[in-house]
This record gives sequence, C-alpha cells and structure tokens, in this order.
Amino acid sequence: MSALVLLSVLGVLLLYAGLFGKRTLLAPLGIIGLLATMVVIRSGWMMNVPLVGAMVRFDHFGSVFGQALTLITVLLFIFGIDYYSRVRENVAEQYALIIFSLVGAVLLISYSNLLVLFLGIEILSIPLYILAGGKRDSFRSGEAAFKYFLQGSFASGFFLMGIALLYGSTASLDLATVQASAASASGSAHMLYLLGLFFTIAGLAFKVAAVPFHFWSPDVYEGSPTLVTAYMSTVVKTAAFAAFHRLIAGMELPGAIQTMLVVMTLLTLFLGNIVALRQTQFKRLLAYSGIAHSGFLLLTFLGSDPGAPGVLFYYSITYSLATMGLFVVLTLAKRSANGDENIRIFRGLYRSSPWLAIVTMLLLLSLAGIPLTAGFVAKYQVFLLGIEGGYILTTAFAVAMALVGVYYYVLVIREAFTPREQAPELVVSRLNWLVISFCGLAVVVLGLVPELLRF
Amino acid sequence: MDQDIITSIRVIPMEHYLMLSFLLFSIGVAGVVFRRNTIIILMCLELMFNSVNLLLTAFSAYHSDPRAQVFVFFIMLVAAAEVTVGLAILVMMKRNVDSVDVNQLNRLKW
Repeated sequence: MSALVLLSVLGVLLLYAGLFGKRTLLAPLGIIGLLATMVVIRSGWMMNVPLVGAMVRFDHFGSVFGQALTLITVLLFIFGIDYYSRVRENVAEQYALIIFSLVGAVLLISYSNLLVLFLGIEILSIPLYILAGGKRDSFRSGEAAFKYFLQGSFASGFFLMGIALLYGSTASLDLATVQASAASASGSAHMLYLLGLFFTIAGLAFKVAAVPFHFWSPDVYEGSPTLVTAYMSTVVKTAAFAAFHRLIAGMELPGAIQTMLVVMTLLTLFLGNIVALRQTQFKRLLAYSGIAHSGFLLLTFLGSDPGAPGVLFYYSITYSLATMGLFVVLTLAKRSANGDENIRIFRGLYRSSPWLAIVTMLLLLSLAGIPLTAGFVAKYQVFLLGIEGGYILTTAFAVAMALVGVYYYVLVIREAFTPREQAPELVVSRLNWLVISFCGLAVVVLGLVPELLRF
Repeated sequence: MDQDIITSIRVIPMEHYLMLSFLLFSIGVAGVVFRRNTIIILMCLELMFNSVNLLLTAFSAYHSDPRAQVFVFFIMLVAAAEVTVGLAILVMMKRNVDSVDVNQLNRLKW
C-alpha cells in the first residue's frame, strides 16, 4: 500500500518539478523516489495494510516482482537522462506518466480482486497510450498511439465482458472465490464461467502480445519513442505476465481453457520466431522476438508446478535486462545513422567501440538462449517445467523454435562484427555506458550464478 | 425503495438481460471492426463498455450483492478517462493527416 502511495506522490512531484522548470532535477528525483519505493517494498513497511477492502495483497510474489519492476524502471530513468536531453517539451509529463503507469504495474502484481485487476490494467495502459504518441510531430508515433489505443480499448471491452460473466456465475469478484468455483460450477453457470474465463484470458493475452492477440505489438513498438518501447517490452510485459500468473495459478483450469492455452502457446512460439526471421528493422525484430519470448513464458502456465512463479520471475527479469540494454544500444546506433533502424546500422560496431559490440553480443546471445548466459538458464528451466507438467510435444516444439530463433539474433551479431569502411561513430554518455554494462554483466553473472536471482 | 428497484429488475428473467447485453456488445464489436470513421469507432467502444455495465447491474440485482454496482462506477470512470485520451490522440492524428479515417493509418506494417 505504501509503495502505491509513494509512487503516486512521486508522479505528482515530477509534474510540479516540470511546472517550475526544474528540468535537470527530474530524472534524479525520479530515481531517488523509485529507489525509496524499492526499499519500502523490500522492508514491507506498511505494505500489507488491508485498506481498500483487502483487494490488494502484497504477498511474497508481489514483493519480489515489485522490487524487480522498480529496479528496471530505475535503469530506464538513467537511460532517460541522455534520451530526454534532446527533447525540448513535455519531459516532466513523460517521466510522470511512466511513474503513473508503474502504479498500475504494482497493482497488477498484487491484486486479489478482479476489480483491481481491471483497474491495474487500465492504469497501466492509459498512460502508455499517451506515451506511445510522445513525438507529437511524428506521423509514425501518432499512428502507434492510435493503434495501441484502439486495440487496447477493444481488448479491455472483451476483458470486462469476461469479468462480468465470471461475476455472474460465481457471484463474487474475489480472486480466490472465483478460482475455487472452477470445479464447482455446473450447468449454465459453468457455461458462463468458461466464457468469462476465455474473455478474461484473451484480454490478458493481448497485454502480453500472445498470438492471435499480438497485432498491435510490432506497429506500436516501431512507432513509439524508443524509451517507451523499452518500457513496454520490459516492465509492461513482466507486470502483465505476473497478473496472468496470479489469475490462473492455483486454479484447476477447465479442459477447454487448458487447450486454449496450449494452442495459444504453440501459435505464439511459431509466429513470433518465423516472422522475426524476415525482419530487417531492428525494432520490429525485437517486437517479434518479444512475441516469441511471450510464447516461452506462456509455457510456465501449462503445468501446475510450485516452482512456476520462480521460473516466470527469472525468465521475465533476465529477458527485461537483455532487451533494456539492446534498446539503449539501438538508440545510440540510430543516432549515428540519422534515424535509420535497419540492422545494417550495427555494421562495423566492433571497430569503433569493441566493448559496446561485445556487450551487444552478450545481450543477443542471452535472448537467443546460448549456454553461459542467463537466457539459457531461463529457457532450460521453462523447458524442464513443460516436461514435468507432461507437455512433452509442446516443449519439443518450443525447443525447435528456440533453435530457429538463434538465427535472427546471430544475424545481428554478424552485422556488428562485420568490418566497414566508415565505422559508425557512437557517442556513449557515461550513464548510458553504465546501463549497457550493467545489463551485459547481469545476463552473464545471472547465467553463471542463477541463485543470485532467487524467487 | 431500493427493494422496489431490485424486484422490478427481477421481473425480467436473467436470460433476457444476458441476450440484450450480448447483442449490444456484438453491435459494438461489429462497429469497431467494420466502420472506418474513428468517431463512430469510439462510440462503438462505449457501447461495448455500457453493455458490460448493463450486465453487471442485472447480475448484481440477481445476486443481491452491491459490489458489482460499485464496479459499474469504476467502469464509467475508466471509460471516461480512456475516451479523453482517445480523443486527444484523434486530434493529434487529424492534425497530421487531416482525416479521421482509420485507413489512413498504414505507414507501419510488416
């Protein structure tokens, strides 16, 4: 509870700082506030106060995810210092909107009532619609914002219908009661329950960009400002997966829903990896890679292993760290190439800045799941979970798709290590260097010593 | 008085409320999918939300449980916030392309 209050106040403070023209103060203030939030979540001070009718419960799951999400946002803010130094207007608003969106994320990882789940999703999404359109004079940014808004509200409509039907069949909005009714509902109530669960899961699948609800993701990723894209593919995705997990974990899923999840996993793995093969724009490549990773993360929902939340946590955090670093590198490379996003802009990177090229390679290898990186440990754990849950064919398919995925990551690495006449001149500020190095080292260290990121 | 409203809501069987809100919801979905004018699409989104409001209110009366009615207020609030942002984005788009036709949105594609 205190974390929610702290974050909301922080957002308002940032708006005031912007109002009084204290631009240099914005990011430091945000970072201090986020670190304070992290400390508060960690210490558990005033966290589990049942204020809003006990609809929010900060258990161990919420606390661990809360710390990780704030940490990733801190990295994003450090990156933001350099990123927003080139933007003239509305910087404070953008920082504040990121914080407000984070409030939604914190609700999503700790809800115990369907009303809070809905509010969390909306508080997470509405600032994002604005942030996606952050570059006001850019057509592509406006288009991204509009597409995200339309498809997001459309998905919210279905999601709400799902909640209404769940309420109709169980007469309760409490998560535990709704989950417990999975087995007991019968007759027409069971029909309503199934339909409700179907719509609710479809709404969440939209947020995590699982096929067939992924249409928004490549367009929105490409059109949005890079910092916002980085936020979407890290914090938003992690929070949405945590919410998904809270909804269906500990529930005896009806057979039809289980089948739907398996089909969704297979489609997501297939489409994400195959379409990524023919991408030449780096942002779109990362969008499809994000869809593919959603497929791997969906695998953790299939079984009912008690270790599933730990695996979900490890996978989503290592994925977030790797993509965060890559988006920073992309911003720098894009600058030196005058706004081009083709993967060719990485060519000759090794000549001009070897350290950057090596870190980029590590991050991409982690996404591909090559041994000795965190991505490998994460994928390995997910596959193990799938096999233990009895989904051997699905897991085998996932392994095959992981192998296909290696190709398009290696393609980018090859570009970085191909010599070129005029090597790109990348200007790396000290803070950006810090973020990139932190992400690069984190994926290696976490790959060697996975126990560091214990759930 | 309150009891009066609840009994009068219950005069009509639950199935009818369900059918009506499904119908409204489908009209909303069809509007979003098939209409090209953005303003109409926004209206159809509202229709989707309101069909859910109707359903929640009816369920609430049938379960004799006020919580869903509170939920309805939250939905109204969120819908208002969402449409505010949506209209702002729409104005931004109108400035860029001078049209409210969604077919204009075609620069980003795979």
